[in-house]
Amino acid sequence: MKGKTIGLVLGAAVAFGLPAGAAQAEALKIGIIESLSGPQTSTGRLFAAAAKFVVDEINKNGGFNGAPIEVIEYDNAGGTTGAADKFKQAVADGVHIVLQGASSAIAGQITEDVRKHNIRNPGKEVMFINLGAEALELTGDKCHFYHFRFTTTAPMRVNALVNAMKKAGELGTRVYSINQNYSWGRDMEEATKAAAKVGGYEVVATVLHEVNKIQDFSPYVAKIKEANPDTVVTGNWSNDLLLLMKAAGDAGLKVRFATTFLDQVGNIANAGNTALGHYVAHPYNIEADNSDFPEAYKAATGHYPVYIEPQTVNAVRTLGQALKTVDFGGGDIKVSEIAKALEKASLDTPMGKITVRAEDHQAVIPVVVSKVIENPKYPVDGTKYGFGVVEIIPGPDAIYPVQEACKMERPA
Amino acid sequence: MEFLIISTLNGVTYGLLLFMVSAGLTLIFGMMGVLNFAHASFYMLGAYIAYTVATTINFWLGLLVAPILVGLLGIFVERNLLRRVHAYGHAHELLLTFGLAFIFEELIKLIYGDFPVNYSMPDYLRFPAFTIFGTDYPFYRVFIGLVAVGMFVFLYLLLSRTRAGLVVRAAERLPVMAESLGHNVPLVFMGVFGTGAAFAGLAGAVAGAFFPTNPNMAIELGVIVFVVVVVGGLGSLEGSLAASLLIGLFSSFAVGLDWSLAGLLSWVGLGDWARSVGGLFTLTLSSISGTVPFLLMLIVLLVRPAGLMGERN
Repeated sequence: MKGKTIGLVLGAAVAFGLPAGAAQAEALKIGIIESLSGPQTSTGRLFAAAAKFVVDEINKNGGFNGAPIEVIEYDNAGGTTGAADKFKQAVADGVHIVLQGASSAIAGQITEDVRKHNIRNPGKEVMFINLGAEALELTGDKCHFYHFRFTTTAPMRVNALVNAMKKAGELGTRVYSINQNYSWGRDMEEATKAAAKVGGYEVVATVLHEVNKIQDFSPYVAKIKEANPDTVVTGNWSNDLLLLMKAAGDAGLKVRFATTFLDQVGNIANAGNTALGHYVAHPYNIEADNSDFPEAYKAATGHYPVYIEPQTVNAVRTLGQALKTVDFGGGDIKVSEIAKALEKASLDTPMGKITVRAEDHQAVIPVVVSKVIENPKYPVDGTKYGFGVVEIIPGPDAIYPVQEACKMERPA
Repeated sequence: MEFLIISTLNGVTYGLLLFMVSAGLTLIFGMMGVLNFAHASFYMLGAYIAYTVATTINFWLGLLVAPILVGLLGIFVERNLLRRVHAYGHAHELLLTFGLAFIFEELIKLIYGDFPVNYSMPDYLRFPAFTIFGTDYPFYRVFIGLVAVGMFVFLYLLLSRTRAGLVVRAAERLPVMAESLGHNVPLVFMGVFGTGAAFAGLAGAVAGAFFPTNPNMAIELGVIVFVVVVVGGLGSLEGSLAASLLIGLFSSFAVGLDWSLAGLLSWVGLGDWARSVGGLFTLTLSSISGTVPFLLMLIVLLVRPAGLMGERN
């Protein structure tokens, strides 16, 4: 009896499944290898949610290659080992495009894995779209044809901050640099030093500290006070930024913070009025967006686009633009063709135009410099504070020169 | 002089904060010998419970409710989970509490989300206690210090001056003997575990308003509380206090001192060479200040394996 039922089910599967499969075109598979568990979950989830939002959008308009785009989520558990494992699984699942954003270390692992995979498997290439990893080496030493970065880097953020704050007369002449001691923090420190001439300031001191290990920042605040700066430039994120700003606020330190990740969810709520008047350079500010995107995003996900979500949306939308220009006629998908199309793709966003620089596959994206103000149109974190736009720097002005270390081999 | 005074102040208050968080663990790990990896989770739960109460009713009520609820949870955990595995030794306790820590973290994420919640002190507590060398000293830091000192005095008097403390110490030193003298040893253990958890809950409620209250706060402090108890010596309350202060002071001074191996070598004329080599030689003490507690633990364990004031080896 039991055997009969199973036989029936199998028969049904063969009857309905196979013909459908044969008639179907090859679907484009996107694998999101993100930190979906562990300490970085909050950021990883945002990347995944934003990417899915756009894929749903594309699928509503007919998908790609005659089939809906498939999205598969992989949890890298916040580490490079997990990412390497999940990349192998993604390849086994037939994924064409890998998306990832939280952590430069993980991006470094994935981009290397992708590069090696592509050397070993010509004709079955995989592409990596980097949504948020900002380490310069990803478009420098480690750059290759199948890696695309759709976020800013340290020089883009620092230069934008310096120029806008100088124009607003709030930069001062003494700048302090405090950063986390790893590739990103070092990039920030270098960028802060490099911008000194243009900004007309002196870097009074630089500090590197461990990443998210310090519970008490008051000794650092004492150190900052000793150097007597006007502005503190920091690439710190998460607790390292919050605790630093809170400690400075509690000590009554009169400095202006020029930050890069102040818009991380929960920061403004936790910092409260200590955040008021501080600056942030980011790829998007909802206050400058008059399109229907914020409401559409809220309708789909339950909240307005925040933190790294807009840049992710723009990245995948640019990919969508590229997909419009390639046609495989329902046949096999060639990732190298998609990559070539993405090089030429462009996207008009409310912040400005987004294009891709062919030399190192760094996206040329506008940078918005904002300032924490009271009673904006879109208050954040349930507070009365939000980000007021100070200046929008168009992509071509914000971009930095191609790094010499990048030697990209293009496919024939 | 300014550096000395400011660093000492910062170090002492940070040390007291560490003591506040690890006081409960001194009872649980130090005295009962239970490797409770979920201790920092109790701390996190305390912060979230206090946040819930503070945002719905009142900040001070949160400080009261958090330790009670977390203490009751601690009693539940001891009575229904730990007691079953106690006979199988440390490894089982460790695995059980390790698992609990994961469950608590995921539960918090499910209920409160992945992001930090907006738990902060009431505005009337947000004022400088005093101003020194032009730097405001926040009152809340002093408040944390006072709570920590209060905890120490309470625990110290309880253990050394009361009959209950006598029974607790007897039950932990010689459980079989205490039991044959008519004391209910399992009940004592349950009470001690509950008290330890309640202290962690109170610490969370107090510190959560100062630090970001997020699902990672247990991981962030989870290891350092063990360092405090190990450096201080198992079961020694005074040792824990001393260890906390030491770690606080060392961390605070390490940040201010730009010492490096290159600087040390320049005393013998090798400074320029060391700077040209770079790497480890130019690594400043301030950039590794987070490692200081572990360095301290290493030294203490090498020199005095029982910890600063521990009796057992």
